[in-house]
Amino acid sequence: MAPVLELKGVEAAYGKAKALHGIDLRVEPGEVVALLGANGAGKTTTFRVISGLMRPSAGEVRFDGASIAGCSADAVLRAGLAHCPEERHVWPEMTVEENLRLGAYLVSQRIEIERRMERIYLRFPRLKERRRQSAGTLSGGEQQMLAIGRALMSAPRLLLLDEPSLGLSPRMAKEVLAVIRELQGQGITVLLVEQNVHNALSVASRAYVFETGRVVAENTSQALLDSPDLLKAYLGG
Amino acid sequence: MVLQRNLLLAAFAVALLAPLVLRDEYLMHIGVLVVFSIMLATSFNLMVGYVGEFPLGHTAFLGIGAYTAALGASTFGLPFAANLVLACLFSAAFGFVMGAVTLRLRGPFFVIITLCFAEVLRIVANNWVGLTNGPMGIAGIPKPAFLAGLSMLDQKVGFYYLGLGLAALCVYAAYRYVNSNLGRAAVSVRENRFVAQSVGIWPFYIGLLTFVIAAAMAGMAGAFYAHYVSFVGPEVFGFSFMISMIIMVLLGGKGTLVGPVIGPVIVVLLEEYLRDFKELRLSLFGLIVIAVVLFMPQGLAGPLARRRERAGAAKA
Repeated sequence: MAPVLELKGVEAAYGKAKALHGIDLRVEPGEVVALLGANGAGKTTTFRVISGLMRPSAGEVRFDGASIAGCSADAVLRAGLAHCPEERHVWPEMTVEENLRLGAYLVSQRIEIERRMERIYLRFPRLKERRRQSAGTLSGGEQQMLAIGRALMSAPRLLLLDEPSLGLSPRMAKEVLAVIRELQGQGITVLLVEQNVHNALSVASRAYVFETGRVVAENTSQALLDSPDLLKAYLGG
Repeated sequence: MVLQRNLLLAAFAVALLAPLVLRDEYLMHIGVLVVFSIMLATSFNLMVGYVGEFPLGHTAFLGIGAYTAALGASTFGLPFAANLVLACLFSAAFGFVMGAVTLRLRGPFFVIITLCFAEVLRIVANNWVGLTNGPMGIAGIPKPAFLAGLSMLDQKVGFYYLGLGLAALCVYAAYRYVNSNLGRAAVSVRENRFVAQSVGIWPFYIGLLTFVIAAAMAGMAGAFYAHYVSFVGPEVFGFSFMISMIIMVLLGGKGTLVGPVIGPVIVVLLEEYLRDFKELRLSLFGLIVIAVVLFMPQGLAGPLARRRERAGAAKA
């Protein structure tokens, strides 16, 4: 089967500081794939390159076979690839509903927006309860749900989730993992960055291990879990 | 938002009735200055308060509007209404060009380059004697036809109502803007650029569209000013208009709808009543700005805008 997402030799830099030194990875349809690695290993930068927030300095990014390297962020989103940025950034001054509505910024039909919003409220009843409340008053876990819900408002086929369990209680983190499994069940492919290796490997079927802007290992979750030495070597954990 | 809207409607009603009570030429003159300033402040606030960039050369649009009206009236003999429309169009077109260049920059770079645009226009107006009559300016711009032959007081009242109508138009446009997808998108870019891009918002486009709207408003204010004062010189591009815009918006409350209405009322009145202090007046304004930035960064209307949040939290 053709991969949904394929990166070949992607390089990127912040000014003169090179952050990615040739990343290769591929994601098959319906998969959940995790990117692991310490801080500064290049996971978030990889996400930014994929979603068009950053222009790669070299290499190829293909989404459904079409090159999207250097496309603008809205073009990538239109193609069906949504990015839920790290630290669960929501717009705190706006209400929950406004946050969600902006997630469908590129959708012009009102009925379609309402339909998607209903679907998201169905999945996250907490958000429905609080839809008139400003997003800044939500708890951390609720904000994360809102951020995911907002990304889903664009009805993506591939969702990039950057550290969705960061700073959440173990119980909320479990809840986030359950959401990811559910998304997979609905046929949405998920690419996940996660600090918590065990959380990540419990939902992902495969993982790439990043170190200083390179992919240093790629294996199935099972194989990684079975060889703690390997994980320890790369992640120091 | 509802509270702000109701306050604005109430203020509009009071403003409509004011001339019936204040049968005085001088007070009506102050009223005209207030409504003129509201147009400018509302225009400036769209950029400062919603897009979150600081166009220090915003007088460029005021000046272009004023000169368009002045030239339209004196050289081509066009009526007021035509000049008003032309001033909006010219300013908007210039806003498009200026925005297309400057909105690629952010922060201090945007501030300085927009200032440069206004300075260049001022120098052009000062030196292109053939078109603008240089430092002598363009004098004798006629009053709108419907005010001809009225007494001085009635003329002032006429200008006041005209300006009030135009200012109300600007504030209404701002209200629609804030409650549109465009306004929400602008705020989302201001709050977090990366997240805004992640939902498919193109920050440059949002900024440019807002800039064009703000420019059209300022151009309209310029045309109104030209016909009221009946004289336009290069100082319309100057820094003193810029300073009053900044003070009015910061004091009133940037990023609110009521702020750019409260600000002008206070600043224009202060300017009049502090006249005795001459130069000291500007120093006083400087102190006011410092105090606002330090102690009331949201301006006078800030608490109104925050009320919504508390109301929302209380409901939960």
